Amino acid sequence: MNAGAPGPDDVVLHVEDVRKSYGAVSVLKGVSLTLRPGRIHALAGGNGSGKSTLIKVLAGIEHADAGTLRGQGRPETDLAGFTAAAADRAGLRFVHQDLGLVLDMTVAENFALSRGFPTRLGSVSWSRLYRSTAAKLERFDLSVHPGAKVASLRPADRTMVAIARALADDEPGQVLVLDEPTASLPHHEVDVLLEALARGAAAGQAILYVSHRLAEVLSLAHWVTVLRDGVVAESRSTADLDQLRLAELIAGRSVEALYPARAAAPSQDRSSARPTVQVRGLCAGPLREVSLEAHAGEIVGVAGLLGSGRSTLLRSLFGAVSPRSGSILIEGRPLPASVRAAMRAGVALVPEDRHGDALFGDFSIVRNTTIATLRRHARWSWLRSSSERAATQSAIDDFKIKISAPGQAITRLSGGNQQKVVVARWLQRAPRVLLLDEPTQGVDVMARADIYQRLRTVAAHGTAVLVASSDVEELAHLCDRVVVLRAGRVTAHLRGAEVAIPAIVKHSYADQEAS
Amino acid sequence: MSATTLPGAASAEKKTTAKSHVLRSLGERYGLVLLLGAVYVFFSVLPASAPAFPTMANLQAVLGNIAVVSVLGIAAIFPLVGGHFDFSVAATSLVSSITCAALLSDHHAPLAVGVAGGLLAGLAVGLVNATLVAALRLNAFIVTIGTATLLPGIVQWYTGGVGITRDIAQPLRDLGSGTWLGLPQVIWPVAVVIATCWFVLGQTAVGRRLHAVGSNPAAARLVGISVTRVSFLAFVISGGLAGIAGVLLTARNGGGLVNSGVDLLFPALAAVFLGGTAIDPGRYNVLGTVVGALFVALSVSGLTLAGAADWVPNVFNGVALVVAVAISTLLARRRGQTGAEGT
Repeated sequence: MNAGAPGPDDVVLHVEDVRKSYGAVSVLKGVSLTLRPGRIHALAGGNGSGKSTLIKVLAGIEHADAGTLRGQGRPETDLAGFTAAAADRAGLRFVHQDLGLVLDMTVAENFALSRGFPTRLGSVSWSRLYRSTAAKLERFDLSVHPGAKVASLRPADRTMVAIARALADDEPGQVLVLDEPTASLPHHEVDVLLEALARGAAAGQAILYVSHRLAEVLSLAHWVTVLRDGVVAESRSTADLDQLRLAELIAGRSVEALYPARAAAPSQDRSSARPTVQVRGLCAGPLREVSLEAHAGEIVGVAGLLGSGRSTLLRSLFGAVSPRSGSILIEGRPLPASVRAAMRAGVALVPEDRHGDALFGDFSIVRNTTIATLRRHARWSWLRSSSERAATQSAIDDFKIKISAPGQAITRLSGGNQQKVVVARWLQRAPRVLLLDEPTQGVDVMARADIYQRLRTVAAHGTAVLVASSDVEELAHLCDRVVVLRAGRVTAHLRGAEVAIPAIVKHSYADQEAS
Repeated sequence: MSATTLPGAASAEKKTTAKSHVLRSLGERYGLVLLLGAVYVFFSVLPASAPAFPTMANLQAVLGNIAVVSVLGIAAIFPLVGGHFDFSVAATSLVSSITCAALLSDHHAPLAVGVAGGLLAGLAVGLVNATLVAALRLNAFIVTIGTATLLPGIVQWYTGGVGITRDIAQPLRDLGSGTWLGLPQVIWPVAVVIATCWFVLGQTAVGRRLHAVGSNPAAARLVGISVTRVSFLAFVISGGLAGIAGVLLTARNGGGLVNSGVDLLFPALAAVFLGGTAIDPGRYNVLGTVVGALFVALSVSGLTLAGAADWVPNVFNGVALVVAVAISTLLARRRGQTGAEGT
């Protein structure tokens, strides 16, 4: 992994002893980082580790109480009073999860937005702009035309355009800081991006890489710094590190297993019992002739690439998509294409897009928790807030949701805690069928373990759980069975020992012959 | 998770917010109420207005004046909470007022029929708006501007521009100008409307669902709320309340006046937006709207009695509205602010 093996004196950026407190509580208690050229340096840590605060300090968004920063060939800067402009002068180049690209504009126009339009005789010189943009793109092996609209690019290329733009001024000693760059990328796009980043590092670029995704950290980064409770818990090479050990470093305790044990006795005895979910010959959206079953007590994974129909399948089971043909039976009864009917039949859906499809941004935690169970909190049509609070409190306790007050706005919670609230909302209905679409997207490793544990418990109490995910590892470890979709068709039903990453990946990419 | 993983940042935020939170939220909730008290004291003490302002007669006049405006404001809240503007409430109340007066005067209908006719006219307009906006998914902003323009035109055609004031039943006139238990009679039905709407919007599942639709329609659909049905209901309720406002308008004016009502649109909306800064800050709410209406009415009354020039109340209302919208927007934005993810 440590291909470039740069000498110890080769330092692009040295951050020393960063301290930051909010009131009486220290969030960063003396954190130091050393970035070297050609090295991808991962920054890992759970919620509350201080990871985000450190990035904000480096970006000049939050002011540190103390700490220094020294770039290659640059004077030492005090991090107290560090501004965004100072961060730019120090050679730090940030690409955030929201790339800051205007989708309706061309690649070249997006470059010009941050660097200015070249002009000739007062009017924009498009040829010069295209030439200079093309040169920058070429450096990143990006086969993208400067005149292409950003909206027409594939997601990984958009990220690369944002990176190329961030590094466009070509100064020596630049450090690229990537904050969760793959969080919104589909699985196969992630690989494209990671390959490009590895090439960039091989060419000498120093990269600080922030990610929740452990597999990425291990495969991409040469070095990882793990923050925990505001201190550096570990800073080491990734060469001899595995996922379990990294998860333990982040959690600060031995993770017996991030994933709960599978159900004791699957399949055999169930084949006779009536399945909770029966799908026969379903055609809807991209789905073609999909048939599957799910029994009470098991967790069934739905794997497949973007566009394979994972989400459509779950939405059909929730009555939110009208099928063209085929049938869906819940506990033997046909399901009408209506969300309300599906809810009455005991189906619940945790949607993929948490902010767009699940959260009520200006509602409190309590109101977000009880919105699917309002009727039980009403007496003479009067919603009793004591009853709503009690229900929410028990969900918070069951689920270890970290909040300061139940009346707090939902948007103030971390992604992991927001997701727990959405899952808790549906668990209150004691669903017969629980559908989850990308349940751990943007969720940190500890909250993820809580959610997995909870799903296993729910299944054990007799619910059929269906999990659609682009995270193959999640499916391989969490699920009892996995159904693989490819271009709308089921290409494999994996069970028992077949439920493993290689098999899921193989069938996800499999060509037509598989069936 | 184990205690060692408790987020430092989260607990830091907890401490700093917990202390200042109570004071700040009290200030947010009752700021406008305090301001209302201050306005009252100011004009009671100010030499120019002191003799007339704090008198029973003036207070009764102020309360009488806010009656219709409050109901119109509340009528506008229902669609607003569900995420839609409704500019037609004032025009609807005009139609309702004219219908009521025309039934009583031109058709010599009994009082109950006149009142029922006024209410039904309001409901009918509400149904039309609801069909266009909720069922056909047209833009509410434009549709209700359309109805707000169309309805006064129809009234003009029907009345020929002449108000209908003959043969208005005496009990209705008494409701408009008489007093009961020391307060204007018209305040009592308005109080019932306020209490009912406060209950429906704030304390029932229907109100909660309407808020949910206004907050995130896509998410509302995925928790089993019928977005169409809830939005439809909001416009029908809005029309019905505008109908009530119309009947009260007939009572206040002693008949149907062709230009009355329509000029109440902006005062009513001003009360709504002012109200968004109080009681339940950052959200449109019933009690806040009443406080907002009272604030504007008291201020205008005080300014008038203090001998301020004609233009002063207008300038005052305009400034109050812009300031109120700025405050309530900033409050809503802060409430919706994303907390540091994974700090």
